[in-house]
Amino acid sequence: MTEPSTAILADGLTKRYGSTTAVDDLDLAVESGVVYGFLGPNGAGKTTTMRMLTGLVEPTGGAASVGGTPCTNRRDLVDRVGLLPEKPPLYDELTGREQLQFAADLRNVRWETVSDRALELCEALDLAEDLDRRIEGYSKGMAQKTAFVQAVQHDPAVVFLDEPTSGLDPRAARTLRSQILDIAASDATVFLSTHILPVVEEIADEVGVLHDGHLVAEGAPDELTAAAQGGANDADLEDAFLELTNEPDAALGR
Amino acid sequence: MSDGPADGRGSGGRSTGGRPTDGQPTDGRPGSRPATWRSRIRNDVRDARVLARTELRCRVRDVRGSARKLLSVAFMAFAFGVFFPLVLWGVATGFGRALASGSPPLGTAGVAFGGIAVLGLYVGGASGFNQEAAGAVGPLVRTSISPTAMSLGRLGSESIQATAVGVPTAVALLLEVAVGARGPVAPALLAVASLPVFLAALAVGRLLGDAIRYASEVLRVSLWTKVLVFLAVTVVGYVGSYRFVYAGLDETGGLAGALPPAFLPGAPLQAYAGVAFAPLGADPRPLGGLVAALLLAAVPLGFAAAVRWETHLLLRESPGDEEQTSGSRGVPWPFTATPSARVAWRYLLRTRRDPRMLAHLGPLLFGMLGMGASVFRNPGSLLTVGPPAATIAGATVAGAAYCMNPLGDDRDQLPLLLTSTRSVAVLLRGRVLAGLVLGLLLAVGVGTPLSIASTSVVSTLALAGFAVVLSLAGAGTALGIGAVLPRFERREYMSVERAHPSTIALICYLFGGLFVGGIGVFMVAWSVDAHSLLLPAIAWTVYLAVLALFGGGGYVAAVRKFDRLTLDET
Repeated sequence: MTEPSTAILADGLTKRYGSTTAVDDLDLAVESGVVYGFLGPNGAGKTTTMRMLTGLVEPTGGAASVGGTPCTNRRDLVDRVGLLPEKPPLYDELTGREQLQFAADLRNVRWETVSDRALELCEALDLAEDLDRRIEGYSKGMAQKTAFVQAVQHDPAVVFLDEPTSGLDPRAARTLRSQILDIAASDATVFLSTHILPVVEEIADEVGVLHDGHLVAEGAPDELTAAAQGGANDADLEDAFLELTNEPDAALGR
Repeated sequence: MSDGPADGRGSGGRSTGGRPTDGQPTDGRPGSRPATWRSRIRNDVRDARVLARTELRCRVRDVRGSARKLLSVAFMAFAFGVFFPLVLWGVATGFGRALASGSPPLGTAGVAFGGIAVLGLYVGGASGFNQEAAGAVGPLVRTSISPTAMSLGRLGSESIQATAVGVPTAVALLLEVAVGARGPVAPALLAVASLPVFLAALAVGRLLGDAIRYASEVLRVSLWTKVLVFLAVTVVGYVGSYRFVYAGLDETGGLAGALPPAFLPGAPLQAYAGVAFAPLGADPRPLGGLVAALLLAAVPLGFAAAVRWETHLLLRESPGDEEQTSGSRGVPWPFTATPSARVAWRYLLRTRRDPRMLAHLGPLLFGMLGMGASVFRNPGSLLTVGPPAATIAGATVAGAAYCMNPLGDDRDQLPLLLTSTRSVAVLLRGRVLAGLVLGLLLAVGVGTPLSIASTSVVSTLALAGFAVVLSLAGAGTALGIGAVLPRFERREYMSVERAHPSTIALICYLFGGLFVGGIGVFMVAWSVDAHSLLLPAIAWTVYLAVLALFGGGGYVAAVRKFDRLTLDET
């Protein structure tokens, strides 16, 4: 089912909760080394898809793999992925540094082997000075930065990021975007779910738009933009998004 | 009272379009006239009623939406509405008969009123101290209804919720008193007389709870100090009530008829009973009248003071807690040995920084206090009972501390845990190790010195070795229980809101541990003194096989269960 250059592959991926279908027959193929922007309105099924791809929930139907490993095989999957969920999974009682060391221990990785990269990321994100403060005293942005470092410090082949710039100030958000590009440049794949369309427009190589559990469009940002509004010159990704997801306000866009 | 300025603003207050401001609210509608004190009170009472009704409705819906909670309520209704009244049938009907005899037993009535007062103080004190939601409603207070209405509403809803548990018992007991008295007059008088006692105690208790909360905030008391004070108060309260109850009982276990004078000099509650039961032939004394007047005055004054103080506390900026919130700690030897040991250290470190992580051990504490009753009666028995009790208690703590709800109490961190570990075994072993550290501190740290002081070195070593084995088995068993009955939903217990383990599972574990540990402790003593090796060897083989089955089986079951855990199940 997998190809060597395909980082993420989903074939008819489906998730139902009772009578509600959260994700319906989703087909995806994300190449290695790209930033894949995953867009969709609230409740479209983005988080559920991300959870299926990281083995956190079981699909009701279909199959998916990350780096050739089936997503239901969490034992092998953990070596390939890093996840930043919407709510930073941190312990309030630990300091930032202790949290990062704990995450390394969970992966059975010595802190010494990842500390250089972790501390470099913290430095870049302006977090280094606060690493020895307890997380209970962190702002939302600081917690988000810590969770980001935690997700990528072990150099995973595929990084899943759910709203990574949430709570970050503009400077930190810009730094994070640049870090995401660095990760992709090192041949890792970034699966990025966000509502902030300019972020996707700026850094994503490819975009998928999910609506009501269906993938309604996929392509490079400029391709989607070009298709929006019948090819109007001043259309942007937001127009494309609104058009594809049939938002009532789409017509008011321009 | 003046109507205030006619421009719609309270003097000194901000113009907020009718929103209550710094003590000068309007009547709550934009553009309306400033409020008079009467309309303010009316509005506050109305808002408080809405708030209390909403909180109570949410509570009812919360219970109705969960089969487990419904079952728990049904169990409590049975226990409080049927079981306790049945146990007290003889006492209650006898009391009813005595009340209607023409010479009411004022001593017994005084004891009953004393019990009601203690209950009111406890309920009020606990609800006044446990104001966990105060931080959550703070923004609401500042942007919507008046702070007074907020305090009033919360006081009402919390008092009703806390009191509701006792209503079935009260009604059933009054019915039994009616049966004994062969008429409704005696229970009606008892109910009317009990109400001011309970309400006054509730108000005073609430003020006491508020005062303790305020003091701990102002003094910036550390969490550990709070925990130690709580433990000290619990032990003192337990020993006090134990002595109180025993002092109030006669040789046959019946009520002695009078409150011990050491607790309430002058027997004011008996005097109050004289006034309350005067229509039944009791002889009222002036002291009783004074007590009745004080009680009746204490109810409105106490509640008014509580509302005023809680309003002040709601609006007060918290001083914050800057103590020791910085500084990372590395993993010390020997915890550096394995990833599991490093994980164990992090659990211990987190507990040291926030001991509320172990709030779920409350039932164990109360259970141990109950079982330690013989020591309170006879302190000399400490050396005899202490070592085996510490061994069993330590083993129980080893399992209950971190293993009863593995991953359940890490619910918010599950996305990290499940996508970072090839198997949760590393995490579970970390929890076992952390539990062992705490358990053995108690079992060996306390049990061994007591044992050395009372028995031989061989017995002491045997008991210490057994403590290690039992603790390990206890932790494994607890993991198994936690795998069968995981709890992912957050709930408030002992004023701590988190995903606590199932209380029923915890209590079963406590009694199971007591039973299995008791057998083992007996076997240790028997084996040390045995003349033949054969029988002890056979007995220990069987016993250790059972421990291994439960401990090892629990661990394996937990690893299998949680390695397959998905967020769908949480």
